[in-house]
Amino acid sequence: MAAKGEKHSPLEQFEIIPYSKTEFGGYDISFTNSSLSMIITVAVITLFLTLTVNPRSIVPSRMQLISELMYNFIAQLLSDTVGDNGKKYFPFVFSLFMFVLIGNMVGMIPYQFTFTSHIIVTFALASVVFIGVTILGFVNHGIKFFTFFYIPGVPFYMHPLLIPIEVISYLSRPISLSVRLFANMLAGHTLLKVFAGFVVAMPFFTGALPLAFIVALTGLEILIAFLQAYVFAILTCLYINDAYHLH
Amino acid sequence: MIENNKKLKELKHKLDKFESTKEKIATTKKESGAGFGFKISTEIIAALAVGVGIGLIVDNFLNTKPFGLIIFFILGALAGFLNVYRVMRRIEKQ
Repeated sequence: MAAKGEKHSPLEQFEIIPYSKTEFGGYDISFTNSSLSMIITVAVITLFLTLTVNPRSIVPSRMQLISELMYNFIAQLLSDTVGDNGKKYFPFVFSLFMFVLIGNMVGMIPYQFTFTSHIIVTFALASVVFIGVTILGFVNHGIKFFTFFYIPGVPFYMHPLLIPIEVISYLSRPISLSVRLFANMLAGHTLLKVFAGFVVAMPFFTGALPLAFIVALTGLEILIAFLQAYVFAILTCLYINDAYHLH
Repeated sequence: MIENNKKLKELKHKLDKFESTKEKIATTKKESGAGFGFKISTEIIAALAVGVGIGLIVDNFLNTKPFGLIIFFILGALAGFLNVYRVMRRIEKQ
């Protein structure tokens, strides 16, 4: 935040600041504030889950209950959408969900960088899901996986039109998955900073009004942070389900 | 012993009652209008982006400028509508 400086852009918070310059094979792999934020996220998840579940008490403490709730939430989601086949993918979906959720939550701490507000991060996550699910489909069905693009019960002359549409619809999955998360986080954080600018700019004590609005918005942002992680997880489950049951 | 059983039954009844209210809350939870609009618009934009991308690639390789772009733009738009239809159907089911 530039209190005295010239910059007052609400987009300043999304700037990537490299802490050290490192290059490998022509690629810039510097350790940045985004990397730091990711490491904090992973550390928070690991510490929280291991420490809270460590006592392994039958009657859980509050903190243990939170961990168990998260576990149950994803386990329930998988069994609801994928069924019995879904159990194998629990570690993957759970890590994905926790990474996005805690990443969003860490981003809600003032002065903390939100790595999910960069499309390259969310697109990389979505690509992992997309490529993984496609491979899974081929492993399960072999060459028959291509019948996924073939809609039964349609007149034969419609297929030359419908198959390209289905293929495009399939290819658009990683984009819509990543854009949804990225745009929500970007829009929310920009909005917060815009209103924060109003607090300073408005005369006398009228600045209290946007300040109150920021408090409400922060609550909404935390809801969105959770909702987007949930949407990411549920769509991953649905895609895994598609890889098992074509149509 | 009988008293204990009675107590257990009462507890079970209470728990059932609690569970039923919990489910009700979960099902009546509604998404905000803005969130819904956002979901729909990303579906259309993503499909259009893929369509345009494929169109440009096809044009580049087959030198069919601008027909590949036109055709795949339209196909992308149709795929976008298909995505929206799928999302709507999924919401209807819930």
